[in-house]
Amino acid sequence: MSVDGLQRPPAEVRFAGELAALRDGDTGDRPPGWALSLRAARTFILGDQKAGITRKFVGDPSLIDRALISLATSRGLMLVGEPGTAKSLLSELLAAAVSGDSTLTIQGGAATTEDQIKYGWNYALLVADGPSTRSLVPAPLLRGMAEGRVVRFEEITRCPLEVQDCLLSPLSDRVLAVPELAGTDTGGTDSMVFARDGFNVIATANTRDRGVNEMSAALKRRFNFETVFPIADFDTEVSLVAQEAGALLHRSGVTAEQRRDVLEVLVTTFRELRTGRTGKGDAMERMTAVMSTAEAVSVAHAVGLRGWFLRREPGTPADIVSCLAGTAAKDNPDDLAKLRRYLEQEAPRRAGEQWKALHAARHLLPG
Amino acid sequence: MGPTFLGVRHHSPACAALVARVIDTLRPAHVLVEGGADLNGRIDELLLGHELPVAVFSSYRDGLRDGSREPMRHASWAPFCEYSPEWVALRAGRAVGAAVRFIDLPAWDPAFASRRNRYADAEVRYADVVARLCAEFAVDNVDTLWDHLFEAAPAEGLQERLAAYFDLVRGESDATEEDAAREEYMARWVRAAVADAGERPVVVVTGGFHRAALIRLCDPAASDPAPAVWPEIPTLPDGAVGGSYVVPFSFRRLDAFDGYQSGMPSPAYYQHLWDHGPEGAARELTRAVVERLRALRQPVSTADLIAARTAADGLALVRGHAVPSRVDILDGLASALVNEALDVPLPWTARGTLAPGTHPAVVEMVAALSGERVGRLHPDTPAPPLVHDVTALLERLGLDRAGPVDLDLTRPDGLERSRVLHRLRVLAVPGFARDSGPRTGVDPVLTERWRLSVHDGRTGALIEAGAYGAVLEEAAAAALADRIGAAGSDVDVIAAVLFDAALAGCAELSARLLEDVVRRVGSAPEPAALGRVLAVVLSLWRHDRLLGTAHSDTLGAVLAAGVTRALWLVEGVRGPGLPADPGRIGALVAVRDILVHCGLDDAVHSGSLAVADRVAADAGAPPDLRGAAFGFGWSLRGEASSVERAVRGAFAPASAGDWLAGVFALARERVLAAGGVLDVLDDLLAGLGEEDFLIALPALRQAFTWFPPRERETIAAHVVARHGGAPMSLRLPEPADLVAAGRALDARVDAVLTREGLL
Ligand SMILES: Nc1ncnc2c1ncn2[C@@H]1O[C@H](COP(=O)(O)OP(=O)(O)OP(=O)(O)O)[C@@H](O)[C@H]1O
Ligand SMILES: [Mg+2]
Repeated sequence: MSVDGLQRPPAEVRFAGELAALRDGDTGDRPPGWALSLRAARTFILGDQKAGITRKFVGDPSLIDRALISLATSRGLMLVGEPGTAKSLLSELLAAAVSGDSTLTIQGGAATTEDQIKYGWNYALLVADGPSTRSLVPAPLLRGMAEGRVVRFEEITRCPLEVQDCLLSPLSDRVLAVPELAGTDTGGTDSMVFARDGFNVIATANTRDRGVNEMSAALKRRFNFETVFPIADFDTEVSLVAQEAGALLHRSGVTAEQRRDVLEVLVTTFRELRTGRTGKGDAMERMTAVMSTAEAVSVAHAVGLRGWFLRREPGTPADIVSCLAGTAAKDNPDDLAKLRRYLEQEAPRRAGEQWKALHAARHLLPG
Repeated sequence: MGPTFLGVRHHSPACAALVARVIDTLRPAHVLVEGGADLNGRIDELLLGHELPVAVFSSYRDGLRDGSREPMRHASWAPFCEYSPEWVALRAGRAVGAAVRFIDLPAWDPAFASRRNRYADAEVRYADVVARLCAEFAVDNVDTLWDHLFEAAPAEGLQERLAAYFDLVRGESDATEEDAAREEYMARWVRAAVADAGERPVVVVTGGFHRAALIRLCDPAASDPAPAVWPEIPTLPDGAVGGSYVVPFSFRRLDAFDGYQSGMPSPAYYQHLWDHGPEGAARELTRAVVERLRALRQPVSTADLIAARTAADGLALVRGHAVPSRVDILDGLASALVNEALDVPLPWTARGTLAPGTHPAVVEMVAALSGERVGRLHPDTPAPPLVHDVTALLERLGLDRAGPVDLDLTRPDGLERSRVLHRLRVLAVPGFARDSGPRTGVDPVLTERWRLSVHDGRTGALIEAGAYGAVLEEAAAAALADRIGAAGSDVDVIAAVLFDAALAGCAELSARLLEDVVRRVGSAPEPAALGRVLAVVLSLWRHDRLLGTAHSDTLGAVLAAGVTRALWLVEGVRGPGLPADPGRIGALVAVRDILVHCGLDDAVHSGSLAVADRVAADAGAPPDLRGAAFGFGWSLRGEASSVERAVRGAFAPASAGDWLAGVFALARERVLAAGGVLDVLDDLLAGLGEEDFLIALPALRQAFTWFPPRERETIAAHVVARHGGAPMSLRLPEPADLVAAGRALDARVDAVLTREGLL
């Protein structure tokens, strides 16, 4: 695949060099059908400075261990968590590490149908030839099983329950029936697709959505659940936001570097409104709006844009308030009230000029 | 032959096994162990044959000659379990006929002033290196790192690996002055032992952090080696009292040291590891978890257990362990048994206490790791000082017999007895029951009645309580501190503990504990409970000359934190349709009373008024709170602009009563004083249609209950007069002499209260 001009090539392309290096130096046993050994796959995601492998996911290493082990056993992997905790990123990285390919992806939604998951038909050929391997159009699940690769199922809980359940027999019996091919001249051998080694499913689900509770018990049992949490360490989160927002700003043609202390105020605000807990441990209410790291990155980006294009400087706490007013608290009066209370009562208790500025900008909230 | 220095982590089975191997192989002349040298005469007592865990409990109080300050007190523990390297060193040393000695400074030495656990990890001092090592080995935290490098690693090369680890750690951290003092002292013992041993070996078992320094200090070729004579054992400074005792300990307490006082977690797991090896420990841990879950009727199927084991084996493989380690097992169990989203991360991914919201199955896993083993002392063990202290106290105060005891709390001897009994109650020593006496939230009661009984369990309970302190007051204070620690965010419990503390005469909390209470009150989750606590604390603060708590700094700090928190919570309550809630109104009443009585600084005053003004004007807030906030400002400022407009503005039939309830709760004196408000209300009520009136009525009735009967009568008279009616009495006619007697009693009570400074 040519990378030029792509906004975001898939992980196996972005990190092709690292994957190749890991493959070449890989001495560990590979689980059947895997592109890398467990240890190399782990290194791919967690990084290894000496070997020139970048750290791609920030979080507890044990989560990656458990996720990889799930994929190597007979259960699927279900990544659940708040929005913007990098579930999709992690699923992409895992698929790239295990199969060398993260593109067998099903996007879940209310309108997702079985033929987008398993297989569909080329109707022109179907009408002309009848059901045959030629007129069959494989979807990610069938391909993953036939080729022995990891299939990603994004936002699985957004699908209707009966659609979700079409994963049941592929996951437990490791076989996919194509009944339409049963009576054809190939003798029906193509009517059963048996999963090859290396096949498994990584699903992601958002705890804010209808949720995994409604998933059928039978399907739940076929997955190992891993909860992905927001980044626990403050400095780590600030650094990640600085790095990601910096990259976005760079692409938008902004050359001024953002101030660390402004980003600290931003990330603190996000963390406290997200967890409903101040850094000191005082409980407050959480915002209903998503206050994830990913959201912090996009607000930091917006703050940088405002500062630069309005005033040729890197962005101030007043810009944070303006951006929050326009995004996080936009359509929700309760959130707006929580935010206002935070700026009125919490902000003045913090030391530092950026906090002062944040408090002073509270009138920028609407209403 | 040079001494063998074994740098260990306290409570590490791997280190303990190494210590045993080295001592058995070398058969040294001397075994020197980190531990207070003042205990050297009592090692026999330690080795009497206790059931572990036990601890050496040390208490200390410095001399107080000029009375210019409170004496400095310090209590600390040196816990031992079967797999403690120090314990194993004592036993193995004895077994091979070595001279066994402790070589560290006594627990009361200033070098330990900030320590409660002698065998805590030194980790705060090397957090940076550890963070780097965790990143390098891609593990979650220092405990997992330790398991990975030592407990779950092969025994070959362990000694070298430990040395390399601790050299790295020590090389990158700044040792404190305290470390230097201790190391200098320990080195002198080593030099003396080496000189004494001649050609025979010497084994030195200390925390790994000290190893490199000891080697340097004991090198005879060093520029200023330690002198090779037995050092003196420091004696207590003049006037100070202190001592050390062996007390029973428990796995729970071993696991409950928090923050930088903590050592290795999960005692039950490491006990299994010590007893049965890694395979056995894996089996025992799994069995304990399954038993616990099944006892709670949580099904655990065989398929789940197979999945857990498969996952644990797989994890061990990825992580390079020959047999699954502690976290491999836990991770495997979590993968197999938890199939839903978690609210908080798995506790073993980080250090610290269990977070609220931890998944119930995970809670059981952690409990199984920690275990319930409780130590028992050999019957010949000398009793800890608390037992003697209490026996003497009870005798002196005449409380050493069964029967009822009536106490007058206004007399010094009554108060002293009461405090002693409350301290025993707080320590859960059986045989002391209180039938009546002061309680929270009611009028002061000046007498107390107790029932004392002889109870078999008394001495046992006192020995156990002996681990809390050497004298009764200190032990009670420490037990109360424990209760506060366990209260979590339940502020009602905190209020109860503060009240108990006042009764027991331990109301001045230590700075650390005060900070903790302030933090919890400052993070109370809802206004009503917070209001209740603040009311209790305020009454202790204002009135309890009796209990010696009036104007205490502790309570003042709690009140200040409570005000900030209450205002924060009050501004957060949303819902214009919510019915009145006396609890949250009570929170504002408490804040107002605190501001009136406690002289908090001006910024708090103006900040509070600003919050109240915002809430009063906030259409999204519930009507009762808006009314209360309005009354708050009115009450504190003594005036309110356009009261009449405010009343008219709030007078919607559905919410008027709730709004008024808030106003009356906070400012009923003002309402009565400014008669105009009643007139406006009267007009508005008269203007209501029948239906609206019925809608408004229930809440209005509720609102007027904030007025005591006498004031209600005044109001009624005012309204009747306004409508041109004849004055009338709403009271039942009472015989005049009864009223007169009541008046006279009121006057006497007022006089007494004034005399005692309670008014
Ligand atoms: N722990 C983390 N490590 C690395 N990047 C992170 C982390 N948390 C958040 N991010 C950043 O936020 C982005 C998260 O995006 P992603 O779409 O993967 O989240 P998600 O959990 O799938 O969200 P959603 O539930 O909304 O689908 C990442 O691309 C990255 O920039
Ligand atoms: Mg996603």
